[in-house]
Amino acid sequence: MSDRRSLRALLRRAGLLGAVVLVLAACGGGEPQPTSFAGITLIGDRAYLASNLFVHKLDARTGSELWRFPAKHEGNNPVGPFAGRPVKVGDAIIVGGTLQFAGAPDNRLYAIRDADGVELWRFAPSPTAKEFADGVATDGKLIFAPNGDHTLYAIDPNQLENGTPRVVWTFTTGNRLWSAPEVAEGKVFLPSLDHSLYALDAASGNLLWKFTAGASIASTPTFHEGTLYVGSFDQTFYAINATDGSVRWKAPVDAWIWCQALVDGERVIVGDVKGKVYAFDRATGQRLWTAQTGGPVRAQPVAAGDALYVVSFDSYLYRLPRNPTLREDGNVPAERVLENGLGRRLLSTPVVFEDLLLVPLFDGEIKLVAVNLKNNQREYELRVVP
Amino acid sequence: MGNIFDFLLVNPMTNALMLLYGALGNSYVLAIIALTLIIRLAILPLSIRQQISAMKMAAMQPQIRALQEKYKNDPQKLSEEMRKLGFNPFSGCLPLLLQFPILIAMYQAIVRTLAVTPLNLVELGSHVYGFLPSIASLVPIESTFLGIFDLGLPDRYFIIPILVVVSTYLANKLLTPPSTDPATQQTNQMLQLMMPLMFGFFMLSTPAGLGIYWIAANIAGVLQYYITKPILDRARAQHGLSVPTPTTSAAAATPTPSTPAAPPPKPKVKVKATMRVNQSASVRKREDEQRQRPSTR
Repeated sequence: MSDRRSLRALLRRAGLLGAVVLVLAACGGGEPQPTSFAGITLIGDRAYLASNLFVHKLDARTGSELWRFPAKHEGNNPVGPFAGRPVKVGDAIIVGGTLQFAGAPDNRLYAIRDADGVELWRFAPSPTAKEFADGVATDGKLIFAPNGDHTLYAIDPNQLENGTPRVVWTFTTGNRLWSAPEVAEGKVFLPSLDHSLYALDAASGNLLWKFTAGASIASTPTFHEGTLYVGSFDQTFYAINATDGSVRWKAPVDAWIWCQALVDGERVIVGDVKGKVYAFDRATGQRLWTAQTGGPVRAQPVAAGDALYVVSFDSYLYRLPRNPTLREDGNVPAERVLENGLGRRLLSTPVVFEDLLLVPLFDGEIKLVAVNLKNNQREYELRVVP
Repeated sequence: MGNIFDFLLVNPMTNALMLLYGALGNSYVLAIIALTLIIRLAILPLSIRQQISAMKMAAMQPQIRALQEKYKNDPQKLSEEMRKLGFNPFSGCLPLLLQFPILIAMYQAIVRTLAVTPLNLVELGSHVYGFLPSIASLVPIESTFLGIFDLGLPDRYFIIPILVVVSTYLANKLLTPPSTDPATQQTNQMLQLMMPLMFGFFMLSTPAGLGIYWIAANIAGVLQYYITKPILDRARAQHGLSVPTPTTSAAAATPTPSTPAAPPPKPKVKVKATMRVNQSASVRKREDEQRQRPSTR
């Protein structure tokens, strides 16, 4: 009797343990959680979205999907996940593979034929290369691909060797490269988590100057009329002379900055990881106003009509007046565009197409929502069920 | 709710981990070990209380079984009598449950500070204290350990998962309280084998830094066992339970001719870990004599 009871108890407990194991195992099913930020690029009326497992080409007006890459995931040949803004070079769309959820990177760049989404080439620039966490940039000739192995690879897609592009030059920094560089006036401005911003000659990769902040620089600098605007984790926002790397002005902020600044007329707008949005005078760095959102602001603010739009980690799209009437405390109220938000964390810069704001979502089945800015309604969404 | 949890536990641990990392020469492994020890020390009173409660419950088992048999058709009376006996099924596990949030927070703090992915790094930025700006200069954490392991990635050499399995097995074997119930014994044995394997399995796909934490926690648990052993032994003696040795904890719970089953303790014993220290020698002698008599049950 006692033996039978103990056996029953043992079986019961074994069953319980098995159930726990099954539940934990089930957590690994379905689409893996993204690790890096989706990117969207608008070319004409076509939108290219790199979001986790797929790259999509969409009709920006209707949201209809023209192709997706890869057409289907095959277990024995994993491709991606993808992150960062896709870039068009010639007839190819270039995207980078990024970190998988478990931490292993896809260390390849992919060239996809714009017309039909067929892979043209894939390329791992070195055996030790890691993730391309924020895509690539281009000057129209070379592709500048910042990698998690601390190295920026400049590759020429027009010179294929054995079906893959040639590495023209490399530049190695002291830490991971998790943001796309800014390319302007024949220079590549490369932010690094090693606390520095590097200016490189685009053709040769020679170092022109280096600016070092008090902490990591994770956001892409914004180039405007000879000045670079960039924030750092050292809670400072900088305006840097693009010619020699000297600081034109700097302004303290309340938290880390991982947001590409927007130059909007005489103002520069930027957000921080504690949800605050700042407007600075572009010439002097004087703080003009601030607005508070509910979560980290990583995506670049967007200007459309008489409003600025800011997406936040708290899943809401915020609208700010472009020429606000200031309250006494210098704050500007941030208005939520959709009452219930978009339901997912928002970390990627949206793009404006006519009256639509195309907002990439960080995770979940819905990858993109088009918000009609005239009536504040959802126009369409892109849903992906893997 | 998540915000409260972050505010109370995850954020302090995240910032403490970063500060320790800076203070200990940018060694993340040392920072994990130091924080694990600090946390263990902070929850030590809770752990001791939980172990003593578990002992109390174990000591009551014979009486509980007798009551269950006697009132098997009258659940209301059974629960009444159990209450009179001083039985509280939650007294043993409540302190243990209170430790879970701390463990979960530690896990989250490690994932955040290691910042293996861009998402982790954004989250880290939103949780570091603004009044500690020096923390930002430590980011990103140097995640290489001994030049072999990247603490932010799964250990491809399987050394850390193996150490996790071994240390979890040894710690469980040492720390699992003995039971007189054969079913519980069997379950304990099964769990002692299954849990380490399960943790080892998960370590195959989780950052090695978490494995370091787990190994440190196991070692800290063993150290804690030896440090608190005198207190727990006194409490065991108080409840008439045999004192287990590290290698025979399970076996010690099984009554044998040389170690007769302990007599049931008096109901509603108010336990204090230090009580026996203050007892007079004559009282202790009387208790010892009682304990050595064969069981009447």
